[in-house]
Amino acid sequence: MKPASFSYVRPTTVEEALSALAQQGGEAKVLAGGQSLIAMMNLRLLKPSRLVDINRVAALDYIRHDNGTLAIGALTRLSAAERSPLVAQHCPLMTEAIQHIAHRPIRNRGTVGGNLAHADPTSELPAVAVATDATFVARSAKGQRTILAADFFVGHLTTALQPDELLTEVRVPPSRLAGQGWSFMEVSPRKGDYALVGVAATLQVKDGACQAARLVYCGVAGRAQRVPEAEQALVGRAADEGAFRAAAGIASQRVHPDSDFHATAAYRRDLVNALTRRALAQALARCGERSA
Amino acid sequence: MTSQPTGYRWIGQSMKRVEDPRLLTGRGQYVDDIGLPNMTHAAVLRSPHAHARIRSIDTSKAKAVPGVVLVMTGAEAAQQTGPLPCFASPPVAQYCIAVDRVRHVGEAVAAVVAESRYIAEDAADLIEVEYAPLPVVIDPEEATRSTGDAVLHPERGPSNVALQRTLTFGPVDEDFARADVVVRRKLRWPRSGAQPMETVGALASYDDATGKFSIHANTSMYNYVGWLMAMSLKVPAHKLNIIPAIAGGSFGSKLFTHKVPILAATLARACGRPVKYLEDRIDNIMSCDNHGSDRIYDLELALKKDGTMLSLRMKVIDDYGAYLQFGVGHHGNALAQLTGPYRIKSAQVSLTAVLTNKGQQGAYRGFGSEVNNFVVERMADAAAEAVAMDPVDIRRKNFIQPDQFPYKIPTGNLYDSGNYEAVLDKALEMADYHGWRRKQHEARQAGRYVGIGLVSCQERSVFSATEFWFWNHEPGFALTSSPDSVDVKIDPTGKAFVRLHAPFWGNSPETVATQILAEQLTMDPADITVTYSDTDSGLPGTGPGGSRYTVMIAGAIAGAAKELREKMFKVAAHLLEASESDLELRDGRVGVRGTDRGMSIGDIALQAHYFKLSLPPDVRSGLDARYTYDHPYTTLPNADRTDMGVFYPIMGHMCHIPIIEVDIETGQITFLKYVAVHDAGTVVNPMTLAGHIRGGTVQGIGSALYEHYYYDPSGQLLTANFADYLIPTLMEAPENIEVGHVVTPSPYTEYGIKGGGEGGRMGAPAALASAVEDALKPLGIKIDSLPIRPVLLREMIREAQQRRP
Amino acid sequence: MEREEVTVTVNGVRHERMVEPRRLLCDFIREDLGLSGTHVGCEHGVCGMCTVLVDGRTARSCLMFAVQVDGASITTVEGLGTPSKMHPLQEAFREKHGLQCGFCTPAMLVTALELLDHDPNPSRDDIREAVSSNLCRCTGYQTIVDSIEYAATLMRGGAR
Repeated sequence: MKPASFSYVRPTTVEEALSALAQQGGEAKVLAGGQSLIAMMNLRLLKPSRLVDINRVAALDYIRHDNGTLAIGALTRLSAAERSPLVAQHCPLMTEAIQHIAHRPIRNRGTVGGNLAHADPTSELPAVAVATDATFVARSAKGQRTILAADFFVGHLTTALQPDELLTEVRVPPSRLAGQGWSFMEVSPRKGDYALVGVAATLQVKDGACQAARLVYCGVAGRAQRVPEAEQALVGRAADEGAFRAAAGIASQRVHPDSDFHATAAYRRDLVNALTRRALAQALARCGERSA
Repeated sequence: MTSQPTGYRWIGQSMKRVEDPRLLTGRGQYVDDIGLPNMTHAAVLRSPHAHARIRSIDTSKAKAVPGVVLVMTGAEAAQQTGPLPCFASPPVAQYCIAVDRVRHVGEAVAAVVAESRYIAEDAADLIEVEYAPLPVVIDPEEATRSTGDAVLHPERGPSNVALQRTLTFGPVDEDFARADVVVRRKLRWPRSGAQPMETVGALASYDDATGKFSIHANTSMYNYVGWLMAMSLKVPAHKLNIIPAIAGGSFGSKLFTHKVPILAATLARACGRPVKYLEDRIDNIMSCDNHGSDRIYDLELALKKDGTMLSLRMKVIDDYGAYLQFGVGHHGNALAQLTGPYRIKSAQVSLTAVLTNKGQQGAYRGFGSEVNNFVVERMADAAAEAVAMDPVDIRRKNFIQPDQFPYKIPTGNLYDSGNYEAVLDKALEMADYHGWRRKQHEARQAGRYVGIGLVSCQERSVFSATEFWFWNHEPGFALTSSPDSVDVKIDPTGKAFVRLHAPFWGNSPETVATQILAEQLTMDPADITVTYSDTDSGLPGTGPGGSRYTVMIAGAIAGAAKELREKMFKVAAHLLEASESDLELRDGRVGVRGTDRGMSIGDIALQAHYFKLSLPPDVRSGLDARYTYDHPYTTLPNADRTDMGVFYPIMGHMCHIPIIEVDIETGQITFLKYVAVHDAGTVVNPMTLAGHIRGGTVQGIGSALYEHYYYDPSGQLLTANFADYLIPTLMEAPENIEVGHVVTPSPYTEYGIKGGGEGGRMGAPAALASAVEDALKPLGIKIDSLPIRPVLLREMIREAQQRRP
Repeated sequence: MEREEVTVTVNGVRHERMVEPRRLLCDFIREDLGLSGTHVGCEHGVCGMCTVLVDGRTARSCLMFAVQVDGASITTVEGLGTPSKMHPLQEAFREKHGLQCGFCTPAMLVTALELLDHDPNPSRDDIREAVSSNLCRCTGYQTIVDSIEYAATLMRGGAR
């Protein structure tokens, strides 16, 4: 399958990119990694009339750590983020999650910003963003705003971005939880396929008792879903198999996944149950492995 | 005899492949790599409906797109091109573009020819088609009851049943009457397919000065039935030349891919320019005409309480999809090893072949016999459970014994040789079977679900033509030839030129041909070159498929080499003034035994080519031979079909032992070990045979666990791309498939070779089902259908857990 | 139909062409540059047949437009070796039977090249991870891993 025609512009600065987006209204699409976009264009599921290729906007390709905040430029390649010592140190949950994204050639081109802006409900990074209270910087020709992850993901392939806005940066705040453990796990039909269900989990334990936890799932709704009831069920309890089982049970009942060819709703709930327990166990094992 | 015959220089060597240098350096000429001046590109518009009448097609907007050369509808194509070839009798009419009715999602509705594929697709987007939907039938059992507009081919009769027949071999009723136990199971084998990495393509041109087509295509059987394409194109057979391109994988699916070349040729003739049509992946998944068997079985196995298997009754419904290009040949094939490796004395098969609104079946590695292996081995396991016998012991008890070969099975086919216990024992040893049973026990105590699968399966090789028609009530064209040919010439410098008349599929034909000729003529492989003929200069060539090609080419080369040796000896005897009986061929030299007098093959060739007056008077110039080798052992079925004759007697065998663990919370399966022991008779190249065993095993794992052409009730194919049709990656394959060999040479073939090309796929699906069922024995779960997807397995586990006290 | 200029180095050779923006990199390589060793299998990024190296890193050429490689350096299978002078990777694949039909082989070779360029001493698991990004329907993958493992020893100067 070959894509339909489009006009093509390749800005080299953020301002040029924003200007191009402002001109075209809703008809322009941003070409970053292209690993989702071009596949859909080849299948003619999408026929944008204009592509704004931002791959030369070098100013968007960076990973920095300032004042405790991990700042990742939107154009950062997934494989660069995967290999980044800064990400490994300050957001190991993201490092682990990226390893589940497709395969290396896809990660060599795909970008952090592109993956997040695409907002596939089975995508790993949105779950990580919600689990870490990340914020997103969106810029347009008219100005700039910051959007909390929980507000950024609206639904199936839909974000809070306006058609003339470009996601320019993802910020992961410093973890307020000293000695926090983490785990990202997913089940997919084959290794590298879209997740059926994935969980981004963090857990803080002090003197053997759970202090705080995050449980955010992909694949169970139109967007990444946090289950605070399951998180709350852990707080104050001894960090053990029984607590994890209880939290997993609550989580599996609080999600309302769809059934499709690849997985039934009941199966997705079973996966939420199993993955929650396993991820919490792994997070517990990792508590204290790194400092906040 | 269970060892490789020794004393060969090249047979049995893992010689590095002749094909490799060009493939490794990106110089393989697959069909899409071939170009012609002034070439155009085609794209096909496909039906979104599973069953509908085509009310109207408006191509005007498409035709107006700049760069478009031609737009053609099915009605327009049918004016110049007739129905596609069909082996079924009576045939089922299919056209390269649907004429007035579409019968499956993805069927071609119109074709566009343009300067580029991009433009052709732009234009295809602008074709407007009005459909009148018709009732859709997707369920095979429902298809047996279809009436009215749900019937796909009303011209053939008021039913979607394409063929219904019961064949009875031996005293089935009596054997069931005297049974102590009857085991019954209903099994489902859904369609998966070859899905090679290369799709089907053709580059066709038409010379209107000569009225002749020339088509580059990656199909096989061009030198067997290629002329049928000329018939479809409504030209005499000598006005079509098919030139083979190497194929990027086939696994049966490129056996006879007539539709794509005929479409390309029709378009080329209409527009007056060469047309390349290459299926893209969506074209191929939806409309490749090569989906695999799609069967529902009702089975009964009659046993004595000591585990002796007596008789097998089989009712099978096979969903052929919308057309029937190979007839019910897949069931002919299954009769070759219907009763597996067991001494079952009688059998009955009731076949109902139905047509539904799905893509058409073609050939996929096993051609229906891998399915037969699956059902026989599931029944063997069920039998073991029913009489409380170990699955290994019940197999041993029922195996055909080495001294019983050649062994005639109830259907009439013969098994040439075998030693099934030797294969089993070797597999058990390699797998450390008893050690793993102990580990399994410990694992179960720890709440882990480890399973040991074990299957003993046949790999029949070298199909005969009779399997394509002997099921038919009216046989139609009851052909009995399925030969393969070779021609070999030796040039004045002593180099050998081998020409094959069947294509390369990845199956190493050049390597195997080189090894065999080198052996036959004591030549250095480096002095041999192999090429492929087209149909203009082709000799009869059935080609690869049914694990036949190595056996057939060995026979053909042996035949040609014998003629060459005879001529060389005659010439050498004359020139050396020696007696032919004193000569021997050794190390590329014909010499007088016991002396150092002799002539190299090159010397003889030089004389033969240029020095007529020095040759014996009755010898003509040149040094070449051609040989057409027929199937070594075929006999006709009898009139009432209680005996199908001998049609697939070269019988390989295998034992697969996969050891797996099931994660009962997620339904996912991990491999702990995989042992595959194969008997393919004398092995020409152990390295390439092991490749077929491993590659075939992973394809079998695909069919067992991941792959399914899944149609929803409205006939939409939900697995229409590579994101949804799940081909195993490395991570889904066992890390180490341990391969073992046992050798029982065939008494009927050159060197005793048996076919091994279908390899691991013949046994792996059955083996996986066995392993999963064994793993989940504590939960009482039975594996009756494939693929064993985690979501389905998890559901069975959940239900079983809820049932438990 | 607007066309864009592309200047790209492929296997060390510089090329300049005008291309439609929508022209896929795989079609550009195969047809515009005549390098047909890189194959096309699915055009939605799953099978990996079209994999090439872009600036030393694997990329699916069916998921890039030719215009995107303006100024880049690409390696395809043709850049490794010739039948008479094969790269150690190619020799190793031949030795260990890492191919049957050959269709996935160019992709496997450049994928192996990326791996070995960045890690001359990969573990078998590292090799397996790399190979898992491409489909092969013929071999079952095991001999492909064996081939790359063997190539690594050849390239480190080990015995043949």
